[in-house]
Amino acid sequence: MYLDERRQPGPRRGPLAGVRVADFCWMGVGSVATRLLADFGAEVIKIEDRTRIDTPRKLPLYKNEDARNFGEEVVGADPDKGGLFNNYCRNKLGVTINMRVPEGRRLAERLIAASSVVTENFAPGVMERWGLTYERLRELRPDVVYARMSGYGHSGPNASYRSYGPVVQAVSGLSFISGLPGREPSGWGLSHMDNQAAFYNSAAILMAIRHRMLTGEGTEIDVSAIETGINLLGPVMLEVTVNGRVTRGPRYPAGNRLEHPPAAPHGVYPASGEDRWVAIAVFNDEEWSRFADAIGRPAWTADERFASPQSRWENQDALDEAVATWTSQRDRYEATKLLQEAGVRAGAVQNAQDLNETDPQLAHRGVFFQMDHPVIGEARFEGVPVHFDGMSADNWRSGPLLGEDNEYVFKELLGVADDEFAKLTASGVI
Amino acid sequence: MTEATPYGDLTVVELAGDPAGEALGKLLATMGADVIKVELPEGAPGRHIGPAAAGARDGDPDASLHFWFYNVAKRSMVLDYRTADGMERLRGLLRRADIVITGWRPAEWADLGISPAGLRDGAPGLIVINLSPFGLDGPWADMVSSDLVGLALGGPLNSCGYDDHAIPPIRPGGDQGYQLTASFGHLGILLALIERQRTGRGELIDVAMHDCLSVSAELANPYWFYPRVLVHRQTCRHAQPTPTQPAVFATADDRYVYFALITTERKPWQSLVEWMESLGLAVDLTDSRYDDPGFRQANFAHIQQLVEVFFLLQRADDIYREGQRRGLPVGVLNAPEDLPHDEHLTARNFFVPVDDDAPGGPHLYPGAPIRFSALAVPPLTRAPRLGEHTADILRELT
Repeated sequence: MYLDERRQPGPRRGPLAGVRVADFCWMGVGSVATRLLADFGAEVIKIEDRTRIDTPRKLPLYKNEDARNFGEEVVGADPDKGGLFNNYCRNKLGVTINMRVPEGRRLAERLIAASSVVTENFAPGVMERWGLTYERLRELRPDVVYARMSGYGHSGPNASYRSYGPVVQAVSGLSFISGLPGREPSGWGLSHMDNQAAFYNSAAILMAIRHRMLTGEGTEIDVSAIETGINLLGPVMLEVTVNGRVTRGPRYPAGNRLEHPPAAPHGVYPASGEDRWVAIAVFNDEEWSRFADAIGRPAWTADERFASPQSRWENQDALDEAVATWTSQRDRYEATKLLQEAGVRAGAVQNAQDLNETDPQLAHRGVFFQMDHPVIGEARFEGVPVHFDGMSADNWRSGPLLGEDNEYVFKELLGVADDEFAKLTASGVI
Repeated sequence: MTEATPYGDLTVVELAGDPAGEALGKLLATMGADVIKVELPEGAPGRHIGPAAAGARDGDPDASLHFWFYNVAKRSMVLDYRTADGMERLRGLLRRADIVITGWRPAEWADLGISPAGLRDGAPGLIVINLSPFGLDGPWADMVSSDLVGLALGGPLNSCGYDDHAIPPIRPGGDQGYQLTASFGHLGILLALIERQRTGRGELIDVAMHDCLSVSAELANPYWFYPRVLVHRQTCRHAQPTPTQPAVFATADDRYVYFALITTERKPWQSLVEWMESLGLAVDLTDSRYDDPGFRQANFAHIQQLVEVFFLLQRADDIYREGQRRGLPVGVLNAPEDLPHDEHLTARNFFVPVDDDAPGGPHLYPGAPIRFSALAVPPLTRAPRLGEHTADILRELT
């Protein structure tokens, strides 16, 4: 069944061992949500459509190839060599089902009946079109956990609006609150909400699994990414609703400066080298004194404009300029080390190369790990950054090839007979 | 019958005083856990961070909106666990607790004269979770940090800022480094609770903000893992290996919308041109030459300019609604003050009134982003005053 026996599924280890998930999730946000379940022992069976390949399989992050922006897809590329898919779908099984034909939907129902969790993040209405309502799922599996995640949630006038990370960040306010005053927001250079909405969704699924362990009862779950984003806006949200603050205007947001508490210096300063930066955050007089000592008390540190937290905060333009005269002559790590040794909060702005190749802390903590992949070869992964004294992630296999586990899942788990399997394959149902 | 809440059976002791630990406590409290925030006599550090609720007297520890935001739905107990007597009481509290949230570096644990594992003495089922800047071990374990410094060292900051690289990377708002750490902590607690259900044994969980952020810059690591290239920050859109066109557009009412122009796919392209034509602003885009994706790609800059004008002539909300009606993923850049009036959020009763201590209440707070058919989310209650529940909790202990 598997040419390489290391890819053969076996018993899983971890708190979720024994939980089978029929996983209709796709894109980043959906795949990240179910990845955690797979990492900790759940048998996550990712359901894919051969005629509508999951986007992370197509984004051109290819090993040993030239850099392409993620919009520059390569027509006809091998869906099994997509690095981002591998990153999101490690530890999962992969099957293909064409949900547009009745035989496909019947097969999916058999899989659901043999699972105890069903996950999806399609636009609202897609699962319903396939007849997969919560009511139907309960007929198939009375204690099912049906986890549904979407941008806007499954009710309300905008439920059918389309969204992905950047749209969620815009609509929830997270983009607006990020940037320099008096110019367009700098927002986010990543889909932060693909991560955070995914984690809220993983948490909701785990809450539901725990509830079922305690009571035997399943549930439907509705997680809205935009509502998650609003919960992450921070105290400014209450300034608006409690104090009536209007943030739109020339003085907000504050860039790298802090409004509360009035900390200064608090910024990202140029270090020596091209586009190299070091972040420094000084919160009180004690830290200021240590900072001044650490940089050798140049004359400007005695300037009376910088004598108190309030005056430093009020004179930040001058202060930032002075701090930059010191940082810009130093390597970002040298500045970090010198300030940290004095107990000052400071850190180089690190990129992915720094994190993966030189960061001693991440190496010590074992945050990244490697697994082999039949098409890609050896690949690096982002581990779950949570250390337990009594358990650990069960990283058993890299991401599935398209349809790699069809035979195992359909024949061994669902009991599909050999001739029926052959027919489903030949007719393109799987 | 009262419906169960997700954490209605759990008691949590919160010793952490920074936003990571407090945000984690909030995630548990808003889903029904009894979260006892144990504070030293001077109160948690967040009580002394502004802004204050309007009309509050200077230095009022009960009026910080920063504190309110991170501490809704909890109870507060003053307990000086630096004294022997206080530590004894704390141990009594921990024996009845399911979870304790701490937030100390190794040197701070040593100063307190206790260890994370030691908190489980006499409480084998207790889940101890420590959220700290760099974790409990490793060469950087005792370095100091903040949200900004954490985002810098952890990597996400490298992807955020402006096209103009003379401007430094810009920290996204809202303490996202701390709040992301809280999310990972939440997942750790859930996994430990499920494991405990089977084994009866608690867990010691060590979560570092640095670890969390280092795996949370989305494409930056995969771009290094696979083609081994770095991404570069761009204004309010994805950091990429090479520059792309702007995706944030100014509107007639001095606001912004987010729209990533993609010309390669036929359907969204047609929707966009039909939309522009409906307002007489398609110019030459209806020309049949644009049916060819290659031609569209070759004239991307021209199309981008026309779209800029198209948006600049309309109001942001109109663009958002009409674009979405036509199936295009357009987002309006809402300011926080736009949200409580949003008709979609209102229809979902997302914001909930909370009877807090500020005049003119109740005030609207963000409600739960998770809804269950079989589980209730408890009504949201205000953050506690300093020591508000000390007497109650001491009584419960005896």
